[in-house]
Amino acid sequence: MQENYNKAFLKANNISFSYKKGELLLKDITASFYKGEFVAIIGPNGSGKTTFGKILSGILSVDTGKIYVDSVNIENISLGKIGKKIGYLFQEPERQLFAPTVREEIAFAHSFMGKTKEFIDNKVSEMIEIFSLQGLENASPYKISRGERQRVALAAILTNEPSYLILDEPTTGLDSKRKGKLAEFLYELKKQDLGLAVISHDKDFIVENADRVLKISGGVINEV
Amino acid sequence: MKFDPRSKLVLVFSFSSLAVFVKDIFLLLIVLLLSFLTSNYFKGDWSFLKRIKKFIILFLGIAFLQSIFAPAGESLLTISGLPILTLGGLAKGIRVILRMMIIIVSATIMRGSSSREIIQALVQWKIPYEIAFMVSLAIRFLPILRDEAKDVFTAIQLRGIEVEELSLYKRFKVYSYLFMPVLSGVIYRARELSTSIESRGFRAYPERTSYIKLRLSLKDYILMITSMLFTLIILILYFI
Repeated sequence: MQENYNKAFLKANNISFSYKKGELLLKDITASFYKGEFVAIIGPNGSGKTTFGKILSGILSVDTGKIYVDSVNIENISLGKIGKKIGYLFQEPERQLFAPTVREEIAFAHSFMGKTKEFIDNKVSEMIEIFSLQGLENASPYKISRGERQRVALAAILTNEPSYLILDEPTTGLDSKRKGKLAEFLYELKKQDLGLAVISHDKDFIVENADRVLKISGGVINEV
Repeated sequence: MKFDPRSKLVLVFSFSSLAVFVKDIFLLLIVLLLSFLTSNYFKGDWSFLKRIKKFIILFLGIAFLQSIFAPAGESLLTISGLPILTLGGLAKGIRVILRMMIIIVSATIMRGSSSREIIQALVQWKIPYEIAFMVSLAIRFLPILRDEAKDVFTAIQLRGIEVEELSLYKRFKVYSYLFMPVLSGVIYRARELSTSIESRGFRAYPERTSYIKLRLSLKDYILMITSMLFTLIILILYFI
């Protein structure tokens, strides 16, 4: 068990978190997340699922406890460095889209990292194809449907080739056909040894795809 | 003791006017101290002090720029014969910081009044309801805009961009990406909000009645007269 725990890519060690002093939302939570595994995080509204996801990706800091990303204490790494290892999909995808066109949105990280134009073009074309975004390359991310926006956000995250993905309610606003496509795509990523933590209320989607289900309720986490 | 928002607005206006017209640093310090004490009496929210900690560098930068571009008096720091820091310039910089502090601290006096009460105060001062409503909406949505900008900045960093390691030019470029989503969010929200308020009968009738009616009491009159007199006396003594 301990040996398995040591292999975890993402570890939460006895973490507690509160938005208001004295009102703990998450109490002494310990959990581990592995590459090549699909973990679903479920729980009632307001139980702290999104908060937990934000803590795992370094957006929020814990009151007590430690988070380790690839064996490095998250306190010692910048958000930029975390972003190279963990991709985080926000509950509202529009909150993470900021470029004027879909193409620029997907190319954003690489253009800032000083990659060549040829490399960026190839990467963008690859993502456009994978996420069926053909014809939307020059569209504004704010003028496309929610489902398309979500795909653009995912494409933009995955161009960085993270080792782990945290998705917050990725099935919201998707019809059953799109959900099926998303499941297929996530399965492909899992096969490529990418780890997935999916925060969701979508019972059917979880039952069909998750390897492990963690339930947050009353501030504590349990495997179900 | 609850005061009418109009009397508090007069008080804020008095402090802000003093901050704008007074140039003497010692007097500005006294006004700042008074605004702190008044804000404390009105249970002002001082949590902003933590937030403005981040702006200290900006304040100091403004003070420094003032000092460089408006040199006066004895030179304190000279590089190649060029006065970089002068006594007069430094005084101007300190003045700017004190003025900003007075305006921010005095604004916290309004903390105890709800946005609805502030609208009503403006309406009873014969300011058209539409304008008063717009002012209150702007105040209401400022924290949301701040949160959105913060989220976008987080999203940018999570794309693997280490902002602190970027050159100044690239850093500015990153910040320029914050405008687009925030602006589009504002436009989207304004559209939704206008539809929503119109569907609830906003401006359906030329005359608007209000459930809330503010009434000035004796203590409000005393507060208004005292603060106006205090401001006038200081300004008269100061300028004569």
